[in-house]
Amino acid sequence: MKSRKRMLRELEEDIRDYLERETQDNMERGMSPDEARHAALRKFGNVAQVREETWEVWSVVWLEQLLQDTRFGMRMLWRSPGNTIASVLAIALGIGINVGIFSVLNGAALRLLPIPRPEQVVSVSPIFHGHFARNVHGEGSMSSYSEYLNYRDHNHVFAGLVAYEPFVDATLAGGTVQQLSGTLASCNYFEVLDEHPALGRGFVDSDCAAPGENAVVVLSDALWRGRFAADPSLVGKRITLNRVAYTVIGIARPEFTGTEPVSSAFWVPVTMQKVLEPVRDLLADDDLSWLAMLGRTRTAVTLEEVRADLGVISARMDLQHPGRTTSLAIGAAKFFSRPEERSHLLPVASVILAAFALVLLIACANVASLLLARASVRQKEIAVRLSMGASRWRLVRQLLTESLILSLIGGTLGSALACWSFPRLTAFVTSHLPSNFPAVGVNVAPNLHVLVYAFGLTLLTGIAFGIVPAWRDSRLDLNTILKGDGAHAGSERTSGRFLLNSLTSTQVAVCMVLLLAAGLLLRGLYYAQTVDPGFDDKNVAQVFLNLREQGYDESRSTAFVQNLRQRVGSFLGVTEVAQAECAPLAHDFSVGQFTVPGRAEKVPIEYNHVSPEYFSVIGVPIVRGRGFTTADVHGPAIIVTESTARRLFPDEDPLGKTLREYSGREDSVIGVAKDAQVSHLGDLNTTYLYFPAGPQDDVRTYVLVRYAGNFGDIAKGIREAAHSLDPDISVDVIRLADNLEAWRIPSRIVAVLSGALGSLALLLALIGLYGMVSYRVSRCVREIGIRMALGADKTAVMKLVLWQAMRPVFIGAFIGIALCAAISQILASMLFGVSTHDPIAFIGVPLLLSMVALIASYIPARRAMRVDPIVALRCE
Amino acid sequence: MSTRDRNERIELLQGTLDLLILRTLFLGPMHGHAIAKAIEYQSNEVLLVEQGSLYPALHRLIKRRWISVEEGISENNRRAKFYRLTAKGRQQLTVETSKWDKLAAAIGRILRPGEREGKS
Repeated sequence: MKSRKRMLRELEEDIRDYLERETQDNMERGMSPDEARHAALRKFGNVAQVREETWEVWSVVWLEQLLQDTRFGMRMLWRSPGNTIASVLAIALGIGINVGIFSVLNGAALRLLPIPRPEQVVSVSPIFHGHFARNVHGEGSMSSYSEYLNYRDHNHVFAGLVAYEPFVDATLAGGTVQQLSGTLASCNYFEVLDEHPALGRGFVDSDCAAPGENAVVVLSDALWRGRFAADPSLVGKRITLNRVAYTVIGIARPEFTGTEPVSSAFWVPVTMQKVLEPVRDLLADDDLSWLAMLGRTRTAVTLEEVRADLGVISARMDLQHPGRTTSLAIGAAKFFSRPEERSHLLPVASVILAAFALVLLIACANVASLLLARASVRQKEIAVRLSMGASRWRLVRQLLTESLILSLIGGTLGSALACWSFPRLTAFVTSHLPSNFPAVGVNVAPNLHVLVYAFGLTLLTGIAFGIVPAWRDSRLDLNTILKGDGAHAGSERTSGRFLLNSLTSTQVAVCMVLLLAAGLLLRGLYYAQTVDPGFDDKNVAQVFLNLREQGYDESRSTAFVQNLRQRVGSFLGVTEVAQAECAPLAHDFSVGQFTVPGRAEKVPIEYNHVSPEYFSVIGVPIVRGRGFTTADVHGPAIIVTESTARRLFPDEDPLGKTLREYSGREDSVIGVAKDAQVSHLGDLNTTYLYFPAGPQDDVRTYVLVRYAGNFGDIAKGIREAAHSLDPDISVDVIRLADNLEAWRIPSRIVAVLSGALGSLALLLALIGLYGMVSYRVSRCVREIGIRMALGADKTAVMKLVLWQAMRPVFIGAFIGIALCAAISQILASMLFGVSTHDPIAFIGVPLLLSMVALIASYIPARRAMRVDPIVALRCE
Repeated sequence: MSTRDRNERIELLQGTLDLLILRTLFLGPMHGHAIAKAIEYQSNEVLLVEQGSLYPALHRLIKRRWISVEEGISENNRRAKFYRLTAKGRQQLTVETSKWDKLAAAIGRILRPGEREGKS
């Protein structure tokens, strides 16, 4: 076949030839040459159109048109640089922050594990249904050791299946004592994950040969560098974890932070469980959820095959547990791949993504109104193209190409900035988190997911802000515009005004939602900062002692704690020392089921074992009855809180009443303590009771020290006292007030984030509003001129202009408030201290927004007032 | 221009122009103008070829390789593009013709049900 280009060139000749023949025919019929030519042309039709239609037969035409549109679009954008730059910046900002936040979420939840060939690795989580009793140590959808062995030995789909217990706490002794979070892993862990330590070796099967026999450990790169100064001779040496010496056999690669979002500091064979965690023998419990499982599939095995194969094994195990059925959650292994983890992450992630998308929506509305404003300047050009026979669809396509160019430039700029800045930002934030926050191993660097997201978002943005102006522009009234009245046709048309107004309203509404949400969160934060928890946490030091974990038995623990309390009590400035099973607001809870004798109802009540001094140390008064004495240690005495007493014994005297524990033991109420938010900040309705602390509580206890003077000195004294009793002990001394701080951190992060987002939204919406009002004022300069020439009052005209500008603002604000009233319910359920109907937020934010909007409209409006009526009338 | 009144002329159905071009070229290679004239003439000037649609149709057929185009000298010694039916086009003409016959017969039966009964 001939080349397409030649074909098209020849088409020209052929059409010319055709017309000549027709003309010739006409002349033979007796027409004059001119007449004949015109008749021929008339009969043939629109030559340009025929040519175009013929070209379109050769389908690559769309590509040519695209190139044409692109070139033309570029020229148009180049011609109004101010508009273009404003649009590109708005889009870059909107897309940039969205891509950035997505890359963080992607790192947390979508990326595969940081191991070789991660796509072969699947996470296996059993989910149990029905009525049955099962112990949980970790998450419900984990398996026991015997179940793991069953899956490992009887499946036909995996090249290997590993199990591990995540988040195992351990105390590293030697030098400064350090608390670590690590992993107990099956001995095929490193081999199956294909993760070869950078130094030394991973586990081999013989490491798991017998329970408690092989004290070996693989350390993380971060721990090796941070604690051991990257000493290459560490491999083969011994370190002490929870009082037992372990031989270091390997150092993991720097990229490998484990298989959980919280980085693992060490890996110990799972068979060492009882040695590392002496509290309980987890290996022996066949009906306990504590191990997460990851399998590397054999080649060409699908997820369905895995599900079917493992389903047979789990069904076989269900036979031994009547009433229980197991379903398996199986999916590509990622951070957050277990169902419980995902169910926590999903709502948070969707709220964050939605909030960021709202800012992009404002940016879109912003650019759309800029394009609409500019379009009215271009009406003449578009009208000429329409009258020359360009089809409407062709024109829409051309205008859309222009907006896509805009969004591509903005999107590329924004994404590039986001990909550059977010990994740095995340690194900065994670390195500045409070020290008791866990190390997070999230890789924020962009990958294919992020690029696809960025590209998709860019295209969507381009279409979103381009479609409305393009559609409107292609439906022009040709006559009016070509007659030269184009400058006014657009601005006078009600549909155009309506469009601009609804865009403004949208921006204001969305902005209002974001600002109100931010306002509510900030108010919540303020409340959290100023709330009175009902106890006095000033000048109290909290000493956490987990002695059982460090190898102490009960009598050694009691001796240690008594000794420590005595020494600390004798310090200068220490007024009183108390002990408690759970320190106030330490995120440490115990809940039991209690019954009131004579009633069937089981009441879940949080409880705490406290020493007699507890109430005076934290400043909670006993309002009825008496406090504990040392004589109560073994007695059946309990103290309940006021609200608990009201709930359990309404209109009765609680003193002397009894409560039955789950074990059947009965306790009698000897006192009533004042309500205090000791377990959940912001929640006054928790039912709560106190038992007297006994020696059995000393193995894991909080010592609370009320002092006068400098915390640093007291803390140092306490640590020294503890280390003089046992140099390898891990003691954790903080201010009691720090617990309150930890409750406030989530609110603070969210408040800062939403405040920043809200300000961005406000800025974008204001730029949009300012641009819209300036545009409208510039369009009705003549109208203003006439009004003023006819003697209209300046202030009256000003009022009119402002009213026109502010009406869509008010409509948008109203919609925004209504939307936010709905959203605040969700926020209130997620975050502490957010009230759904906070009057200050709901009045303050709309006021602020209206004020700022008024200023944004006033500036351009005032400019119009300065116009000399003569000039305004003459310039047309 | 034609002497007939415009009202009597029928505009071509969508797609039938392709068939008519194929049939016209069956008689031999022709240039564009001749094709249009031939269709009008052979139909006793009842069919009006929308001249503008001739070229897109020709190119559609070229693209499907049912006709080819070549340089030639016309009857009055002028250079012109001649369109020629290809072997594939010949086959297609048979297919299209039988399709058309079926269509015409079917429509005829629906429009004039009585005639059919009378014949049988």
